[in-house]
Amino acid sequence: MVFTSLNFLLFFPAVILLFYITPIKYRWTTLLVASYFFYLNIEPVFGLLTALITLSTYFFTRLIDKVKDDKQKSKYMYINISIVLLPLFFFKYFTAINDGIFDILELYEMRWVLPKITFLLPVGISFYTFMAIGYTIDVYNEEVEAEKNIGIVALFISFFPLILSGPIERAKNMIPQFKSDLKLNPANFSIGLKLMLWGYFMKLVVADRLAIYVDSVYGNLANHNGDTILFTSLLYPVQVYADLGGYSLIAIGVSKILGLDVMPNFKRPFFATSMAEFWRRWHMSLITWLTDYVYTPLSFSFRKYGVSGIVLALMVTFVLSGVWHGATLNFVVWGVLQGLFLSVEALMNKRKTKMENRYKLKSNFLYVIFSIGITYFLFSISQVFGRAVTFEDSIAVFQKVLFERGSLFLDKTTLAYAAIGISMLLLSDFRDEYFPKKFLLFNNKHFMIRLTSYLCVALLILWIGILNGGQFIYFKF
Amino acid sequence: MERTELIDKLTTIFRATFDEESLVISDELTANDVDNWDSLTHMILISEIEKGFDIKFRLKELNKMKNVGALIEIITSKID
Repeated sequence: MVFTSLNFLLFFPAVILLFYITPIKYRWTTLLVASYFFYLNIEPVFGLLTALITLSTYFFTRLIDKVKDDKQKSKYMYINISIVLLPLFFFKYFTAINDGIFDILELYEMRWVLPKITFLLPVGISFYTFMAIGYTIDVYNEEVEAEKNIGIVALFISFFPLILSGPIERAKNMIPQFKSDLKLNPANFSIGLKLMLWGYFMKLVVADRLAIYVDSVYGNLANHNGDTILFTSLLYPVQVYADLGGYSLIAIGVSKILGLDVMPNFKRPFFATSMAEFWRRWHMSLITWLTDYVYTPLSFSFRKYGVSGIVLALMVTFVLSGVWHGATLNFVVWGVLQGLFLSVEALMNKRKTKMENRYKLKSNFLYVIFSIGITYFLFSISQVFGRAVTFEDSIAVFQKVLFERGSLFLDKTTLAYAAIGISMLLLSDFRDEYFPKKFLLFNNKHFMIRLTSYLCVALLILWIGILNGGQFIYFKF
Repeated sequence: MERTELIDKLTTIFRATFDEESLVISDELTANDVDNWDSLTHMILISEIEKGFDIKFRLKELNKMKNVGALIEIITSKID
């Protein structure tokens, strides 16, 4: 059940009630039961998979802590990582590998055509797999002790607000919280509800509304001209931000109500003045995960190669990030582009800083706008490969944008409604970025202003939000 | 090696890596405090320190370097 479904709006209050009547000592079990109930309602069989990954992770992390020899510890770590990755590889990349093998067999005329089996990707598998792997590595690195209570480990991996699409949390942050006295209090309710309200706003008013327009263009590329496609492609990052960012806020808000602090996933990404800064503000839980568990070990191994080593580590990390999204050429290209942008930036960094210091550019308003614009533009380019379904479509997008002029196709109603949401979102982020404690609405000291703000946003959701399903981009990861 | 000698040597390495002539290091110094010290340049710093002190770090030790103070501790333990 998705956060934006009616079922969830019934499920969550029920969980809170159950939570409330459970003695504090056992509240974590309520969460565990609720999490499995949540997940089994979406994918019963895959609940089994989650349980198996939990068992394996529990077993091997206990072993890592138990043995003294580093080589043994390392062996157990790699075994669990392999076990945990197996289902992910199978479900995500089965089709790609399958088709690849079929192509080869066909080449040698050895292909027998049998009915094709299609698999549904277990929801959330990319997310909880990463959490399990991170935990395993953390135990090996002695960042955290292997948890002796298997129920807590199960809860960490399956915690329902996070299981579908993150934020990808760490054992070091979550397990101590799960083991502490979980209390319901009004302050947490207030903060959590505000986060949820804004999250629903982002998802239903901005993301799902924009999706209507973006889908109509990207779903029909052949019949749209370059100007329309350019316009749409420049809008698409806003849709993704509102979609995943909104969903993350709901997850964080739900957790907050239950007394748990979950890491943020986005930090006003469109105010980044460089790609390096952008990646410190966009999908932060995924990036920090990749930095800690992939980039750092890799760049450490390559450190004797200096800057070339850094570039290689970056490329591998981001190609992996691309492939995490999907096993297609488009996602590989997406990853390569990110790695490329960051590498070029890293190589130019010393000269750039010198120039900025010399002419005091960082306090120059136009320079900042320019940097923000370039960063956004570069990201939009890479997002074409994230949105277009096939590589050929991506190429078609660039060809048309460069060579095909025409009049802009504008779905005026949809875009007008979307514009309201987008302006509010960007203004809110602008306020948070440059005037953090001023012009507060949700957090204004006057109750009437706060109340009015909540009501306005709630009414907007009901008036122009897409309440009949929509879609969620990161669901298919 | 005396601590002051170590800090002097380390300061030279920091200044060279981050191209900041006047950088002063302290126990509490972290990447947040220095321009251009991020995950991209961190490994270059690590590599320069290894060369400068003729030591080899282990990956596990990297995670324990929360600030320059911790870094100095680890370097000290390796050269003694």
